[in-house]
Amino acid sequence: MLTLTKDRALALALLLIVAVMWVESGSIRPPTSWQPYGSALFPRILLVTIALLSLLLLARTFFTRVATPYKPWPLAAKEWLIHRKTIVALFLFFGLYAALLPIVGYITATISFLVVSLALLLGIDTKRKWIINLGISCTFAPLVFVIFRYGLNVWLP
Amino acid sequence: MTNFFLQALTEVGSPAVLSLIILGVLFGIVGGSIPGFTVTMAILVVFPFTFAMDPVSGVSLMIGVFVGGYSGGIVSGVMLGIPGTPSSITTVYDGYPMAQRGEPGRALGIGVMSSFLGTLISVAVLVFFGPLIASFSMNFRPWEITALIVFALTLVAGLSNGALLKGLLAAAIGLLITTVGYDRNSNLRFDFGLPVLGSGFEMLPVMIGVFAFSQLLGNIEKMRDEGSSGKGVDTNVTIPYGLIMKDMAAQKLNTLRSSLIGSLVGALPGTGGTVANFVSYDQAKKFSRHPEEFGKGTPSGIVASEASNSAVAGGAFVPTLALGIPGDLPMAIMMGVLILHGITPGPMMFEQNPVLVGAIYASLLIGAVVMVLCNLLLVRWFAKISLIPQQILVPVVLMLCAIGAYALNNNLFDIWVLFIFGVIGYLLWKAEVPLTPLILGVVLGNNLERQLFRALELDASWLTFLTRPLSALFLALAVASVVFSLYQDRKVQRLKKVSSSQ
Repeated sequence: MLTLTKDRALALALLLIVAVMWVESGSIRPPTSWQPYGSALFPRILLVTIALLSLLLLARTFFTRVATPYKPWPLAAKEWLIHRKTIVALFLFFGLYAALLPIVGYITATISFLVVSLALLLGIDTKRKWIINLGISCTFAPLVFVIFRYGLNVWLP
Repeated sequence: MTNFFLQALTEVGSPAVLSLIILGVLFGIVGGSIPGFTVTMAILVVFPFTFAMDPVSGVSLMIGVFVGGYSGGIVSGVMLGIPGTPSSITTVYDGYPMAQRGEPGRALGIGVMSSFLGTLISVAVLVFFGPLIASFSMNFRPWEITALIVFALTLVAGLSNGALLKGLLAAAIGLLITTVGYDRNSNLRFDFGLPVLGSGFEMLPVMIGVFAFSQLLGNIEKMRDEGSSGKGVDTNVTIPYGLIMKDMAAQKLNTLRSSLIGSLVGALPGTGGTVANFVSYDQAKKFSRHPEEFGKGTPSGIVASEASNSAVAGGAFVPTLALGIPGDLPMAIMMGVLILHGITPGPMMFEQNPVLVGAIYASLLIGAVVMVLCNLLLVRWFAKISLIPQQILVPVVLMLCAIGAYALNNNLFDIWVLFIFGVIGYLLWKAEVPLTPLILGVVLGNNLERQLFRALELDASWLTFLTRPLSALFLALAVASVVFSLYQDRKVQRLKKVSSSQ
């Protein structure tokens, strides 16, 4: 049975992206009479290059033997999610931070992001960890605000 | 040029710029000292702070970080036995055993002095070769520049950890990212009906997203897998100045050779401090009368490692300033800084912005002096700072990255760009795709397309790329670099097979 290895997943994902972008490149305005080539030429050269390299990568996976057998991808993905839940959580926190910034403002969003991320990474089992967490969060967020706002004249949301 | 250099020196020597260089060096050393943080990350974090500055101030601050960062690896290398940056791996070979022998101050002193001399020699190389190569490349027309960029990209892709195919894919993806939005003929491309994509992706959030997320989250993963090494470290260090001077006097030739190797390797695309480090260490061992002492705490090993990795700074500026083609990741970001400040690195820079070029020379020199003073006076503190755990560092740096991306244009969309490219960068990193060619592609994409179209507008025939000698030479070199990488890949695979069958 064919298994979805890292390289195969990468090659297939890239081929899918290339297909979507190739279709989209059809809506790029064609060249005018004085232009030898249009605006679609350069991206299309790149899309063909990526497609060819992806096909090569895909083909290579059938000729090279992998040292350790790969698990079927739904199982591997489930294991990965359990094993790397910290990474997934950090990405989620960052996404939430980006979404909250314009709503609650820089200070609140940043302190919240730092507190939850530090709690996730440092842990919350001792009072010392909480002191470190809150000390860092409540110092860095306002400090960066002051540097950008008053030192560099950059407005933060 | 002397006049411009003096003018630049006056500007760089002003208290405000001088303070920025000191701050930059301090931050660079701290960044370099913390294992897993790297010089590139230090540069990325400081980058947003230069937005509101004039070009000389911004570039001086960045060069301070650059110089400090390359020397910062000494501290963690000597005190913890962990290289702060990949470019100080061989420092650990002799620095750590010397420190373990009870001479951490001597190891640190030798490392710092070698770094200082390496930087000075590399500045001399830059001052001599920069204008020379720039004046030669003045004759380059669009065909030559296009071919040169293609060569640089294939070279970097080929040197990416023996993963040629994925390296080339990464470079092509990087170039493709730059095609989103309006092009130079005001034609809209790949906006998918979303107005925010009309102006394309800003270079900075893409670079930070791709690099910072994969690096920081990778550190977290490694920490979880390997467990944190919380070994106790004695940060009480005294520097034996007299002994260090005596050591350095005996290392004149080694210092010169290692610095020249560092400068040369730094000037080659796709190499950087890590390669310089190993080549120089290997050469020092071969030239040494006592090669058996290497790896046991000999001053020669520390000198070879630190002089060469610091000399990369000056050497790497040669192709960036003279050709507009950055050789490695920190330089690609440095080029981004220059572009952001409205300066296009390339052969014309020496004519159009001589003061800024002079400011780069002056900042490198002043940065080197500041680096020595900071390292020798504050080594105890740097050793303590290098123990900051990743658990604290990662959220703070992610927050700084977000604010940096936002501050570029006061645009919240840039934080989303950072986030999306962070996810993409992390996934690509997990798929073992080298990220340096991708970032280089993002930096060079617009110029490559511009030059390609200029060439085709002047002469619609593609064959001209092959009939012009220099353009043909660069393309031949690009093909040769791919063939050579294929050969190297095969060799690595064969060796792997042999070792696995044994």
